[in-house]
Amino acid sequence: MASRKKVLLKVIILGDSGVGKTSLMNQYVAKKFSNQYKATIGADFLTKEVMVDDRLVTMQIWDTAGQERFQSLGVAFYRGADGCVLVFDVTMPNTFRSLDSWRDEFLIQASPRDPENFPFVVIGNKVDLENRGVSGRRAQGWCHTKGDIPYFETSAKEAINVEQAFQAVAKNAMAQETDVELCSEFPDPIKLSGDNNKPQGNNCPC
Amino acid sequence: MSDISKSQEYMSFRSTIPQRKVVVDDDNTKEWTLYEAGPKTVKSPLVCFPPASGTADVYFRQILGLSALGYRVIAVEYPMYWTMKEFVEGFRKLMDHLGLDKVHIFGASLGGFLAQKFAEYTSRSPRVGSLVLCNSFYDTSIFQQTSSAPTFWMMPAVVLKKMVMGSFHKTETESHIADSIDFMVERLDSMSQQALASRLTLNCMNCYVEPQKLRDVDVTLMDVFDECALSLNVREEMCKCYPEAKRAHLKSGGNFPYLSRSMEVNVFLQIHLRKYDIGSLRARELTEEEMAMLADSDAGKSLQENYEKERGKEVRPKDRM
Repeated sequence: MASRKKVLLKVIILGDSGVGKTSLMNQYVAKKFSNQYKATIGADFLTKEVMVDDRLVTMQIWDTAGQERFQSLGVAFYRGADGCVLVFDVTMPNTFRSLDSWRDEFLIQASPRDPENFPFVVIGNKVDLENRGVSGRRAQGWCHTKGDIPYFETSAKEAINVEQAFQAVAKNAMAQETDVELCSEFPDPIKLSGDNNKPQGNNCPC
Repeated sequence: MSDISKSQEYMSFRSTIPQRKVVVDDDNTKEWTLYEAGPKTVKSPLVCFPPASGTADVYFRQILGLSALGYRVIAVEYPMYWTMKEFVEGFRKLMDHLGLDKVHIFGASLGGFLAQKFAEYTSRSPRVGSLVLCNSFYDTSIFQQTSSAPTFWMMPAVVLKKMVMGSFHKTETESHIADSIDFMVERLDSMSQQALASRLTLNCMNCYVEPQKLRDVDVTLMDVFDECALSLNVREEMCKCYPEAKRAHLKSGGNFPYLSRSMEVNVFLQIHLRKYDIGSLRARELTEEEMAMLADSDAGKSLQENYEKERGKEVRPKDRM
């Protein structure tokens, strides 16, 4: 069990500027929230270790800029994504309407192997605010037409449902990962003694 | 010739970026080799330290990729230094010679170890702006060669090369990784016995980093999740040594991700350096368009805040005294 391969899951957060992508990431990873708005430049990432189905997984969460074009990082960070979180603001209908184009953008840039079943999660953020503009039913309906994407209503400010939403994307991404492992043409070589055959397992470096 | 050496990209690198040799010691045989690109107006460039088997050109994809984005990048290759003291003093003299006050260092394996030792050596009057350490370590005892290290100088080249190549697993690897190994083997082959012996001596001689002296240095740790010469234990120890460090994990890439996954490595380097974009530690020139954006946008404010945060970190130790 202990020698099972370490897993890195790359998750990308997309959505219009100001919907709370950075806040969601900070709430999930660092359990912090700040009311002050700070535009994200280019992209940034944080890592968090989580348990998914009894397996320790390192999640690398990429927060992207909603509109800024300051030092664009290009498409390199889309590469090898295992999951994608689409975020809108429940008080701003236009951010909900953008979901289609964010989803398309992701599928074009990341070009995942199986776009139909790629693990997306949709988050309607800022449910703590009064002036709701997008109903839960409407959002659910959109998710249903896109192949039953799981939908979560969250508040990064009050830490409502944030954990659950990210846990869902990790779980679904892991499920895909395991599928790939099963059909992989080259299974991992069987190691009789793991790392113990060489003391410490470090050869000269290079 | 390996596929990488034959590639258009590598050939254009060699034909556009001149190789420079610099002697900074009294001993004329101690020659640094340098490749440099990017604006000279930048005073805190990114300096790349190669691994034991590598020459300065192993970073050609960082030099090309990052200089195109406005960064000043210098890849160096060490002269034959046999002790750590010689190395750290030598590199300080090289910085003085190049007129550089503080630099950001990207070091892989031995390069990362040397970068930490240099930051430690200059901790009282810092010459290191920040560190990015790739597949690196902080204690040479992990190689269990400390007792034989003093005899490396007289070992035949073939033995030394075998020692290094023993850790290049080439079974069932994906093509980019296989290409990176071919290229590195070629670099290794080009090295003289003395050059290789001196690097392996630095690599294996009993020596470790005192992390408390690097407490105020901004560090990003880069590592791969697939097979590489360092065991999982060593990688985890490294993370414990720098609990504050940002962790830039790559799903795969083998021993030389700067060759096999250069796009992703360059993105991590960009993110690491971005907080210095304004201020004296900047590693690149901003474009006019970016300057204009900085003047009135939220991005400008964010950068300013990040920059002040980093500055705050730097000022703290002095305040304590």
